[in-house]
Amino acid sequence: MNGSDRKASTFYVLAFYIFLLAVWQSLYSFGAVPEYLFPSPLQVARRLWELGNEGRLWPSIQATLLRMAAGFVAAGLIGLLIGVLMGMSKLVNRCLGSLFLGLQTLPTAAWVPVSLLLFGLQEKGIYFVILMSATPAIAIATSDGIIRIPPIFIRAAKTLGTSKLAMPMTVILPAALPSIVTGLKLGWTLGWHGAVSAELIKSDVGLGFLLSMGRELNDASQVLGIMLVTILVGLLLDRFGFGVVERRIRRRWGLETQE
Amino acid sequence: MNESKASASDKTGDDKNEALLKLTDVSKTFESTTQQVEALQPINLEVNKGEFVVFFGPSGCGKSTLLNMIAGFEAPTGGRILLEGQPVTKPGPDRLMLFQEHALFPWLNVIDNVLYGLRRQRGFRFKRKARRQRARELLEMMHMSEFEKSAIHELSGGMKQRAALARALAPDPKVLLIDEPFPALDALVRAKLYGELQEILVRTHKTILSVTHDPNEAACLGDRVFVFTGRPGQIKAEIPVTLPRPREISDPELAKFSSAIMAELGEGQKL
Repeated sequence: MNGSDRKASTFYVLAFYIFLLAVWQSLYSFGAVPEYLFPSPLQVARRLWELGNEGRLWPSIQATLLRMAAGFVAAGLIGLLIGVLMGMSKLVNRCLGSLFLGLQTLPTAAWVPVSLLLFGLQEKGIYFVILMSATPAIAIATSDGIIRIPPIFIRAAKTLGTSKLAMPMTVILPAALPSIVTGLKLGWTLGWHGAVSAELIKSDVGLGFLLSMGRELNDASQVLGIMLVTILVGLLLDRFGFGVVERRIRRRWGLETQE
Repeated sequence: MNESKASASDKTGDDKNEALLKLTDVSKTFESTTQQVEALQPINLEVNKGEFVVFFGPSGCGKSTLLNMIAGFEAPTGGRILLEGQPVTKPGPDRLMLFQEHALFPWLNVIDNVLYGLRRQRGFRFKRKARRQRARELLEMMHMSEFEKSAIHELSGGMKQRAALARALAPDPKVLLIDEPFPALDALVRAKLYGELQEILVRTHKTILSVTHDPNEAACLGDRVFVFTGRPGQIKAEIPVTLPRPREISDPELAKFSSAIMAELGEGQKL
């Protein structure tokens, strides 16, 4: 895409969202659904503005992100380690592969009851849900990435005198990096699902907490507003965090041609 | 190049008459659960220091298998491969292999790719400056100096092969093994690289073994060409190419040698 194309497409994207807002507003104006169930965009914006002024919105975003960061780092380390073991040993892969694949299909919210049983209403429970949601995806992507390393890289490394000990750090991990980053991205998303689900039940700050508070107060504006914020934060992180890294790596590894 | 130093310090190379690489009755049989396939009948040959030896033959004649065994990627079923009197057991930078695809590491830039092998080299292990200097020299020789910081995906096909060649030469291998030189390149770029390869040969006195199914390429590059025939693979003839270097791929003199090479292949051998 060149500059003017990009400008044109940005215009269409903006127009699309304005159109969506207009549809939303007109649905509201026609009164198709009772007002207390279905607020207008303006009402949602106002409620978010109030939450921001009351000093509740930003600390909640921060709290959820901080929990995510901590849980995700742990999930990343554990997932990578298990993934490397699975990638390098057929036996480990056969044992853990199906287990992790199964765990990955489990809806992340299913970990919430387990965490309640294990940790009650402690903060630890949220980390547990994030960890369990994110780890399988990261481990599977890592092991897949390792198994699918082009053999030519391994052969080249061997002929260049790479020892068995040096192989994982100098060749195997870097060669599997594109898939690992994709796994981390997926892990982050699943962890994010898990974090908000867990916060619904057991916290006094966080996006999930604001959601469940909105429901308890029958405040549809708050529920919708927080949902939008949650989507927006997730989208921004994907776009400007993992998305950018993933694209750069895939291009560099020759897996994607330039635009 | 510290070629002269390297050869002076060769411990096992004292005996001047001893060939650098010696293959004795090297054979290979592939076994599957249902059958045995004889890929290579016993091969005997010697390669002297500074020689360019080409294995020429149709696909499936075992020439690549032979190269893989010399590189140490596969073990021979019978016979022995000795490099300077030492048996070959595993892959290593003394018998460095250059692959059909460039096999450069995309996570490293050009100079870091060249440095990769040097970092593991005895004389260079703790000498950062010396490594860098050597890498720069090699890139200069390959006319790649401007691109030392480039990412691999930014290079053209020919430049990738040049970078791969610089990386292969960096650890100063005793034998450079080339599995089909530059197959993915167009004829013009290839002709240029043939010239550069010969230049390297003259400048560094490298010993090179290469595999090809192109008779022109064999005649252009080889001091000696071994003609293989297939199923089971065996050496049918050895043809010395006596033309002076550098040779041009389009030289009519060279065509005589390439037709002689083709003639040895005989009837019924499909390329």
